[in-house]
Amino acid sequence: MRIVSHVRRVQGRRRLVGAAVALVALVATACGAGGSGAGGSEAGLRVLVEAGGHAELQPVADAYEKETGTKVTFVELPYDGLYDRLSSELSSGSVSFDVAALDAIWLKSFAAAVKPLDGLFTDEVKADLFPALLTEAKVDGAYVGMPVWTNAEILYYRKDLFDDPANKSAFKARFGYDLVPPKTWQQFSDAAQFFTGKGRYGTDVKGAVETEYLATLLQAGATDMVLTGDGKVDLDNPAALTALDFYAGLNTKLKVSPPGAAQVDWAAAQNLYNQGKTAMLRFWAHAYTQIPADSPAKGKTGVTVLPAGPAGTAAVPGAWYLSVPKATGNAEGAEKFIEFAYQHNDLGVQTTLGLAARKSALQKYEKQPGHENLTALIAALDAPATAPRPANAKWQQIVDTVLIPMLQKAVVPGADNAALLKEAQAKTESLLK
Amino acid sequence: MNGLVVRGPGTRALLWSLLVAVLVLYGFPFAYLLLTSFKTPLDTIAVPPTVLPQHWTTANYADALSRDGVVPSLINSTTTAILSTLLSLLLAVPAAYGITRFRTLPGRVFIMGALVARMVPPVAIGIPLLSMIRALGLIDTPAGLAIAHTTLSLPLSIWLMASFFEAVPDELDEAAVVDGCGRLTALWYVVLPVVTGGLAVTAIFAFLASWNEFLFALLLTSVRAQTTPIVIANFQTQFGLDWGAMTALAAIYSVPVILLTLILQRHIVAGLTLGAVKG
Repeated sequence: MRIVSHVRRVQGRRRLVGAAVALVALVATACGAGGSGAGGSEAGLRVLVEAGGHAELQPVADAYEKETGTKVTFVELPYDGLYDRLSSELSSGSVSFDVAALDAIWLKSFAAAVKPLDGLFTDEVKADLFPALLTEAKVDGAYVGMPVWTNAEILYYRKDLFDDPANKSAFKARFGYDLVPPKTWQQFSDAAQFFTGKGRYGTDVKGAVETEYLATLLQAGATDMVLTGDGKVDLDNPAALTALDFYAGLNTKLKVSPPGAAQVDWAAAQNLYNQGKTAMLRFWAHAYTQIPADSPAKGKTGVTVLPAGPAGTAAVPGAWYLSVPKATGNAEGAEKFIEFAYQHNDLGVQTTLGLAARKSALQKYEKQPGHENLTALIAALDAPATAPRPANAKWQQIVDTVLIPMLQKAVVPGADNAALLKEAQAKTESLLK
Repeated sequence: MNGLVVRGPGTRALLWSLLVAVLVLYGFPFAYLLLTSFKTPLDTIAVPPTVLPQHWTTANYADALSRDGVVPSLINSTTTAILSTLLSLLLAVPAAYGITRFRTLPGRVFIMGALVARMVPPVAIGIPLLSMIRALGLIDTPAGLAIAHTTLSLPLSIWLMASFFEAVPDELDEAAVVDGCGRLTALWYVVLPVVTGGLAVTAIFAFLASWNEFLFALLLTSVRAQTTPIVIANFQTQFGLDWGAMTALAAIYSVPVILLTLILQRHIVAGLTLGAVKG
């Protein structure tokens, strides 16, 4: 009897808990709190985009909705997550988006799962896009993505230091020529040495990322960027050695960069410059508008193209492309949006990143105050030696397992760069077998 | 109260030193995150880094909370975690009870199978889950994500509940049956009240598994049901990392878990010691 009475006492409490559970279940099975969904046709057009690039496309989406009445919903994901999501959805053959913003290096991997956009690439369109972007957009004979914005590395320098009369005269006395924003590797090395000291370094050397070395490779006159057009490895060559000697030598021989170069990546390099710890920074063009208001570099930064090596200046484009998955049920709407995005490409320049893909869009703003970086960006993308990264599905693997480890070893004093290149060549060949 | 007696001041000092070291190791990353959330943009990227903010600001919190999708993501995380916890308990309790009370060979095989399922890397079941959840029409809903999260928490929940039921003598069930209860009534009204501590521990584990989960949230949600871990990750873009807003949101996201743990602390301790006195 005692247990039965206990049961009755407990019953009241349990009914209350049951009601609460039912309420939560009801709420949970509803549509979620994030507004209109990305899983149904009511969404209009769904665009999958890396979180950082969302701002670039928002004005285009707003204008598109205003003109066509079609709502554009963005699915924002972190960079690595975006790749995973694309891989899983495209391989499952069922997608939750109509348009995807793809990083240039992913185009080859996803080319088979996206629709060719050849019809959008008229002669007029091609004439307004940088050659490197056109090359990159074409995979296996078809244009698989429309460039929506592009970045490239440019040189940032502290104008206040370069314009200081005392620095000018001291530099001339030491090196025998005027102190000016560096145009060549030699001038860059001299300026970096000159500004190193008293708690500041001339520049940084990045061991944890590869793109800057690839740009240096092009400046050195390499005919191929790691891989030849037919997929053979071409890394153990004189141009690659010249580039690596210059790139790593800034740290190992000239010692013009902060310690720990092997771990320096984009964020670290940008931080060092924004903190006033380096006088020059080789970095992506978008960062010009992102120097914090309380940074010693704010308002004192000049920009120009990367210093020229034996083959002149050169950069590696960091472009993003809009593509249409074959599995979408709204391919027509997706293509229409991409065409609209191309036509209104200049809207991207007015966003926080301030980037676009069309020459005319960048040229429209380059003379306006606050957009001084665009002149350098255009020059970098138009440079004859500028070239895109190889279209190879294993490119990211080559970067992660060969190029970055090679650079991290090369920036350590005493490194044998020739041996490192030979080793990298062999490792890459093995990867591609 | 019979506590352990520490003999000698040297031992006491050593124990205190170890305690402080462990506390620092565990607490410093969170303390640093919390302090960073009160730093200005330049302070957050200081080289070398500083522990304390040079200038304190709450702007990062206002910034984080004003971003599109942040508040809905907090609601989604809460809803998903609660539903996943309920689902996990709903399935784990009868499973564990049956296994421990009937002690059959299939039961033993089942519980070992559950352990093996726990060892499968989540990424391996990501794509099949994506197809199944989409087929059910639950893509981008908290319910769909909660089901996916339950696949992660259920095996551990079964094991935990099984260990707690083992500590409850069979005689209690038998007495209830003698008093007119059926097996399920005995479980619901007699046995479960005895293992509330164990239920609390299991619920916390299931809740945390869902609250912190990233991969399935990445694959199965888009806009409507996106949870906060994805939103926090979105602060790191290829164009830079917004330290201030990211740490502010991470700090906010930690609060419910800390509160839940504090509220259920008594039950957790009771639950953790429940199996220890089985004789």
